[in-house]
Amino acid sequence: MLAAWSYAVLRVCGLVLLALAGGWVFGYPWLWLIVLALGFLAWQLANLHRLERWLAVRDPRGGIEAPGKWADVVAHVGRLRRRNRMRKRRLAELLREFRHSTDALPDGAILLNRRREILWCNEAAARLLGLRAHADRGLRIDNLIRHPDFVTHLERAGSAGGRSSVELASPLDEAVLLSMQTIPYGDRQNLVLVKDITYQAKLEQVRQDFVANASHELRSPLTVISGYLDDLVEDEKMPAVWGGPIREMQRQSQRMQAIIGDLLELSRLEAPGGETEHNEIDVAALLAQIHRETLALERRPRDVVLTIDTEARLLGRESEIYSAFSNLVANAVKFTPEAGRIEMRWRADSLGAQMSVIDTGVGIPPESIPRVTERFYRLDGGRARRSSGTGLGLAIVKHALQKHQGMLEIESEPGRGSTFTCRFPPERIVVPVENQIPHDQVPGT
Amino acid sequence: MELAQHISRRFDEDLEGLRSSVLAMGGLVQEQVAEAVNALVIGDSERGLQVAHDDHKVNDMEVAIDEECSRIIARRSPTAGDLRLIVAIIKTITDLERIGDEAEKIGFLASRLAAMERPSNNYREIRHLGRHVGQMINNALDAFARLDTAAAVEVVKADSVVDEEYELISRQSITFMMEDPRNIRRILDVMWAARSLERVGDHAKNICEYVIYMVQGQDVRHTDLSRMEKAARDGGSGGA
Repeated sequence: MLAAWSYAVLRVCGLVLLALAGGWVFGYPWLWLIVLALGFLAWQLANLHRLERWLAVRDPRGGIEAPGKWADVVAHVGRLRRRNRMRKRRLAELLREFRHSTDALPDGAILLNRRREILWCNEAAARLLGLRAHADRGLRIDNLIRHPDFVTHLERAGSAGGRSSVELASPLDEAVLLSMQTIPYGDRQNLVLVKDITYQAKLEQVRQDFVANASHELRSPLTVISGYLDDLVEDEKMPAVWGGPIREMQRQSQRMQAIIGDLLELSRLEAPGGETEHNEIDVAALLAQIHRETLALERRPRDVVLTIDTEARLLGRESEIYSAFSNLVANAVKFTPEAGRIEMRWRADSLGAQMSVIDTGVGIPPESIPRVTERFYRLDGGRARRSSGTGLGLAIVKHALQKHQGMLEIESEPGRGSTFTCRFPPERIVVPVENQIPHDQVPGT
Repeated sequence: MELAQHISRRFDEDLEGLRSSVLAMGGLVQEQVAEAVNALVIGDSERGLQVAHDDHKVNDMEVAIDEECSRIIARRSPTAGDLRLIVAIIKTITDLERIGDEAEKIGFLASRLAAMERPSNNYREIRHLGRHVGQMINNALDAFARLDTAAAVEVVKADSVVDEEYELISRQSITFMMEDPRNIRRILDVMWAARSLERVGDHAKNICEYVIYMVQGQDVRHTDLSRMEKAARDGGSGGA
């Protein structure tokens, strides 16, 4: 501040001295002062104007010639401008690289703002969904991708705030299957990822077809083998040494037949048949039948109890529900000692209805609970040897329930027993008018 | 001043919401047609009936959008482009609802055909026509969303292909009927389905004409293609 004032005072003093000197030599000192001051002012104004013109040009080449202090100003501004240009160029390069790399991504990505308008999308998204990368910016995505499933998916992604995905055919080509995942970020903004899953879907189809065909083809030779084995077991001329091996062969071939039967059942459940039919199933009668069948078993726990708490009926396919329930019960029978107890319970509440199978068997260690519904998953070698199951029972239960929008819940404590609960949503439940049949207990044995 | 801005922003939001619900209805209708054709081609009577059963969703949406249009006209008295948008929407939803009706019909036919003997070509011609018509609806709705008159004209042009395909199917059907009169009942049903799809194509074409009306303010119904193209081009390149 002080330096600025001293600079200005020095200049003005110089000007006054010059005017005084002129006045002393030629007379009229006041006129000299006025003329010099006006000349100086005009010179400054002219320079200011040139600087302004120079700054007004967007991209000037080089600086301008200006004397005195103005030269410094021009130099400083020029340096600032150069630095700015470089920074801009670097940013533009970075942006270009970013765009190139995102365009090289095989999966589509779309950024949406809070009003679901497209902020940006990469080339893959444009190609998969038929969007126009530039022209469609600012348009709402649900105006362009109008499949009802996608619209409800977007709504749900917005409200729940969680990740979810939806599968649908591409609007350009119905043979192309896309998986769309919406990931919320920032202030109610969304990132939509688009993936072409045609190949995976085909692969999955091939796998299902293979399992179904292979099981089918294996069944006929196996029938022949077990037929002969049945004959051999009854053959009296057979040397006694062969009795044991042949009986073992017969047992194993029966087991193989059971596995193939389960595999076929599983691949039938997996086949994409859309919605299952909506027949009313009398669950109480179904469970009573399973109860009778269980009581008729040779080796079973002492107490097998059936508790029906509701008259509610289930909408679905009876054969599938039967196979789910009977597999659960068979499972419980297998892992419960003869002194144990099994209870089947059918209940309904506002959240839908539940079928539970509660046993006092060996239980499942917590780390295995998520895996028991996998095909051929065995808890441990010892148990696997003892049990004669196919390893597919719980997988069948899971798929049969999925077809009915149901869920399988497993609670278990090793050594104390397990509870398997099938939950069905309210839309699958029909409650008859005469609704009150309280606690109809059927004791075992 | 601020209040006026506030009001006009609310108005814009209303119009935008209206446009979105029309497009959502379009999405549903397109899905209905695709499902109905699919049910017919794979011979799934349950899916066919499901489509027919779901038609009420389309009808409900039409009623709701209609009410919203009347409400906006009454409260905001829109003018110029806004008024054209609302008029175009009222007409568009009528056509969409009719497309929904055709889908319902195809759904019924699908459930009936599923019980009958299947032809050796597995209804390939219906699948082909259905795919074509589905593309037309999709492109018409895209043109509506993007206010793209050039794309709208393309859809109108595509309609003649659909008409030709329908003509082919009906000729082929006549031959089949003459070959074996026992099939007449089934082939008549197939022809009805083809006829419905052809009508769907016509409705898609109508929607495109409303798009041109909405953007350019020119009524291009009942005119030839060259005049329509001219109307679509004039007055700027699309975006309103």
